[in-house]
Amino acid sequence: MLPFSYAVRNLFRSKSRLLQTIGGSALVVLLVMSAVAINDGMKGVLSASGSDRNVILIGAGSEESIQRSEVADGTAGIAEAGISGISESLGVRAVSSEIHYMNYLDFPDGRRSQAMFRGVTPQALRVHPEVRLVEGNFPAAGEMMAGRLAWRKLGLEPSALKVGTRVRIDSQEMKISGIFAAPGTVMESELWTTLGDLRVLAKRETVSCVVLRLDDPADFAEADVFAKQRLDLELSALRESDYYDRLSAFFKPLRVMTWLTAGLIAAGALFGGVNTLYAAFASRVRELATLQAIGFSRASLLASLVQESTLACLSGALLASLFAVLVLDGLTVPFSIGAFTLRIGPDAAISGVLSGFFLGLLGALPPAIRCLKPPLPVALRMS
Amino acid sequence: MKSNCLILFAAACLLTSCKEPATQAVEAAPAGPSAALGAVLAAAPAGEPRAIHLIRQSARPGDEITIHGRIMGSSSPFVAGRAVFILGDPAKLTPCNEIPGDECDTPWDVCCDAPEDKKIGSATVQIVDAEGRVLKESVEGIGGLEKLAHVTVTGLVAEGSSADLLLLNATAIRSGK
Repeated sequence: MLPFSYAVRNLFRSKSRLLQTIGGSALVVLLVMSAVAINDGMKGVLSASGSDRNVILIGAGSEESIQRSEVADGTAGIAEAGISGISESLGVRAVSSEIHYMNYLDFPDGRRSQAMFRGVTPQALRVHPEVRLVEGNFPAAGEMMAGRLAWRKLGLEPSALKVGTRVRIDSQEMKISGIFAAPGTVMESELWTTLGDLRVLAKRETVSCVVLRLDDPADFAEADVFAKQRLDLELSALRESDYYDRLSAFFKPLRVMTWLTAGLIAAGALFGGVNTLYAAFASRVRELATLQAIGFSRASLLASLVQESTLACLSGALLASLFAVLVLDGLTVPFSIGAFTLRIGPDAAISGVLSGFFLGLLGALPPAIRCLKPPLPVALRMS
Repeated sequence: MKSNCLILFAAACLLTSCKEPATQAVEAAPAGPSAALGAVLAAAPAGEPRAIHLIRQSARPGDEITIHGRIMGSSSPFVAGRAVFILGDPAKLTPCNEIPGDECDTPWDVCCDAPEDKKIGSATVQIVDAEGRVLKESVEGIGGLEKLAHVTVTGLVAEGSSADLLLLNATAIRSGK
């Protein structure tokens, strides 16, 4: 075997080629890591948003979109009395009527952004226990509380939604009363107002849905039976987790696009790398033939060339990983129903290292094989 | 050599003890319908079946009625783990796949019909025990009860039923036209 130092020394023969290889592989690895982080982030936020203990009673026929759903106002009370297995605390059952509504939010400086509003009562905190008020108060009439990532969804700076800020919806002025957290869920990108305020703003007499929290997810059948026994209410019972699974399936093409983009760019970079290595290795045919002549086998020369290429690509992977950890990790990405945070976890890290390794391996093999293929007497005479 | 063998044996024992307990190879055979459900499926509906949209106007809680329809009216007309299903009136509701040119994957949701027709053309059929509680067993696939199956049901109109809501405690169910 050729010593490892031979491969290392050869790396620095052409600094521009080395930089090109490292830069190209770093870009590809970064893209792969970003694609993994985006996929994981989007899937994670949608799966975390739905609890299998929560049941959504939604208008029959509107199962695909809560915003389109119409549920009679008194349904929460009827469901509370008619469904067994609902969580109860201090004698109060976890049933929440909600309005989900999308509209523009106007800021005093003239900026305008589309926001997702949820009209709630304090009961919402019983069915969404992950919601925590981190600053200010739960909204009263004329107020709203903002999810801590709502600024990102709205395309604003974080200070735009600080407590006390006055905003307008349909020329109705409202004050930000608080900031809430709901880690890892789409609720963090929403603005919550009182049910009464949103009913007036959305000009509706119905609610969008009734959310129930069960003690045991297996009691979902009780809610489903209720929906079917009360056909007059025109309801459909859905597990909250199933609702968000459907949303996740809806966003699948978007995730496929990120993979496709990363794949195409990786393929381009791979061919570019192969081209560069063809030129680099072709100029060393006689040197490699000489090494063969003094006793090194073709296999050991191939291994050394692959080492050289893999080392350069793994250096690129290291740079990309550093960039990903320092810049991408924790970055908030908005999408149509909320925002999610990129996390460079083990999946992304392993994908990055593997991409770098395979780029080096696959990129080096064809030019190395071509370079070592000529018979020794011919190779020794090649210029 | 001997000590190496002992170490290997000990390691094998440790790995064996870490292994998840083997799952029961013999799974319980799917149980058949309960006696209460079997009795309802075995009984023959009595009297001439009436259309759901007509009888709901006059039916009062406690009346014994016989209706005919098809299992449809919702994207999931059965309830998993409960003896409940929705019966749709063929005179008011049409499965989407029976509309020329429509290739709906879930024709039993009758999504092509107006909500008002769905409301007056649907009834809920449930099988209850002696205390009036819905049986905790699925009925889908039992006794020919499938989505879009034609079904004739005799039963007592349940408490809470009105012109807007027809809820039937079945005493006899027969599938087929």
